[in-house]
Amino acid sequence: MDDTASAPTLVLGLGNPILGDDGVGWRVVEEVARLTGGQAGSVELDYVALGGLSLMERMIGYRRVILVDAILTGRAPLGTVHRFPLEALPPDVCTHSGSTHDTSLQNALRVGRAMGAQLPDTILIVGVEARSVFDFSEELSPEIAAAVPHAARYVIQSLQEA
Amino acid sequence: MERITIDPITRLEGHGKIEIFLNEEGEVANTYFQIPELRGFERFCVGRPVEEMPLLTNRICGVCPEAHHMAAAKAIDAVYHVTPPRPAKLLRELLYSGFYFTDHTTHFYALGGPDFVMGPDAPVAERNILGVIHKVGLEIGGKVIQARKYGHTIVEIIGGRKVHPCTSIPGGLTKGINEEQRKQIEEMGLWAIEFAQFSLKLFNDIVLGNQAYVDLILGDAYTHRTYYIGTVDDNNRVNFYDGLVSVVAPDGTRIGKYGPGDYTDWIAERVEPWTYLKFPYLKKVGWKGFVDGQDSGVYCATPLSRLNAADGMATPRAQEEYEKFYSTLGGKPVHQRLATHWARLIELLYAAERIVELATDPEITSDNIHTIPTETPTEGVGIVEAPRGTLTHHYWTDERGVVTRANLIVGTTNNHAPISMSINKAARSLIHKGVVVNEGLLNMVEMAFRAYDPCFGCATHSLPGQMPLQVTIRDARGEPIQVLRQHC
Repeated sequence: MDDTASAPTLVLGLGNPILGDDGVGWRVVEEVARLTGGQAGSVELDYVALGGLSLMERMIGYRRVILVDAILTGRAPLGTVHRFPLEALPPDVCTHSGSTHDTSLQNALRVGRAMGAQLPDTILIVGVEARSVFDFSEELSPEIAAAVPHAARYVIQSLQEA
Repeated sequence: MERITIDPITRLEGHGKIEIFLNEEGEVANTYFQIPELRGFERFCVGRPVEEMPLLTNRICGVCPEAHHMAAAKAIDAVYHVTPPRPAKLLRELLYSGFYFTDHTTHFYALGGPDFVMGPDAPVAERNILGVIHKVGLEIGGKVIQARKYGHTIVEIIGGRKVHPCTSIPGGLTKGINEEQRKQIEEMGLWAIEFAQFSLKLFNDIVLGNQAYVDLILGDAYTHRTYYIGTVDDNNRVNFYDGLVSVVAPDGTRIGKYGPGDYTDWIAERVEPWTYLKFPYLKKVGWKGFVDGQDSGVYCATPLSRLNAADGMATPRAQEEYEKFYSTLGGKPVHQRLATHWARLIELLYAAERIVELATDPEITSDNIHTIPTETPTEGVGIVEAPRGTLTHHYWTDERGVVTRANLIVGTTNNHAPISMSINKAARSLIHKGVVVNEGLLNMVEMAFRAYDPCFGCATHSLPGQMPLQVTIRDARGEPIQVLRQHC
């Protein structure tokens, strides 16, 4: 576990950029990059389609990580932006942090920590309530697209709260 | 009629749902296995330059993007009627072997293995990779992480980036490797061989050393006498990247081999009203329903199938394990589905040995890695063995190379009918009147399909944070009489 990160904070857009609303995490992080003009200081921005162990491995070396993802609670209007720490992730909610091919992100983090990996103390999730995540498309639904600037501001606000 | 619903399936990609219908006597009347399909990928591809397909298709799935990249790479070679030079083929196979090493490692230690290492009756909270680490020892976790890192690194060196490679183009690759990179890969391959041997020893000690597990594997509950398919090389040895698809009957007779261009002569797809996902079957044998036997066209495409469809492994240590596998389990073919976990570890060893073989090939650092296409693009098929089954990509283009149509038969889809049959059979043998449905019992039903390492959706679309499992038992009037939950 000798990996060292290039910045203390990582903002990761999660999802599949060609699977409709599932790509919202990527779009939000693109918007963060645009709003900050690439001047986010000690923050690294990236986009990945990973879950479970792979997602844990991507977070090694950072002190703080913000995961931006589509979320399916089914209990909020489309486009609602949720923000909560990973520990508060409700068990019956859909996000990429649960990779069923290997293990949940929570378990993956426990594995990583047991191995001595330097993993973030804080993992914050910014989730955009979505529904159309089964149809291939590069377009977001209108409600989801409208939520992208809000979610991006949430991310920036969270970065400033550090 | 009572109904038991297992929803969603734990540790399976995407949402899955198993419905078990009981009759008045409390016996299993029928089972249905449903999953939501990702829709519209073929339509999404139309109108795009075909050379984009290796990049686009590896976004279909977050579990095996490398497999889609490679099937697409071979399909675009075919579309442009171009053969990559030998060094390019070697490099692609080397990348692919690195990917296999990661994928099979992950399945054994995180997905399929916990059922055996922890036991099928262990609490679900322990039946995962953390439980394995606690039981086997902390160092195993470090080895698994190291194995994954090495596999990812091989993919990155050759494929340009981790997980989603981007270097395959019609006729070869955009970049080669230098001597320093070659040496690095060889060293990782040597470590990988040791790790694979360690994993086989672990399986030998924990599973084969436990008579209850051996009985479980050899029991009728997880046995189906189906056809098997898998890609083989010129000597009929297992190959993941290239060759012909060998088809063997339930009695072990090889009924033929087909190349990519002939897949439609061999494979047809059945549609059922209760699911969007199709059921491929062998056209030459025909669809006879969800039944096994010589007359049923149901076939299986898994690590076990690949071993059954081949005459052996192309590397020495894996060949030794191959021989031990069949001598222990009573000869070829092996029909017991839980033996797939063992077969997967033999393939893990083969992948590791193949990494070293390819990394030490004198041509591997050659810069002759691309044949420039000169013909007009038309239509082409690419086939590779995805870890979870034979993967077929078929593209049609206009004369400019713009996609006009695409058809994909993905690894897991091959196994849709056998998975449904395995769930049904396991449920029938495990659920009887008077038997209280409990977590361990339901997990044994789930074990029936977990052996196939199914992957219907992927980590690239939204998944449940904790994969809740809810079991609802309903009486004959449809009223719930018992609800069992985990992770809820």
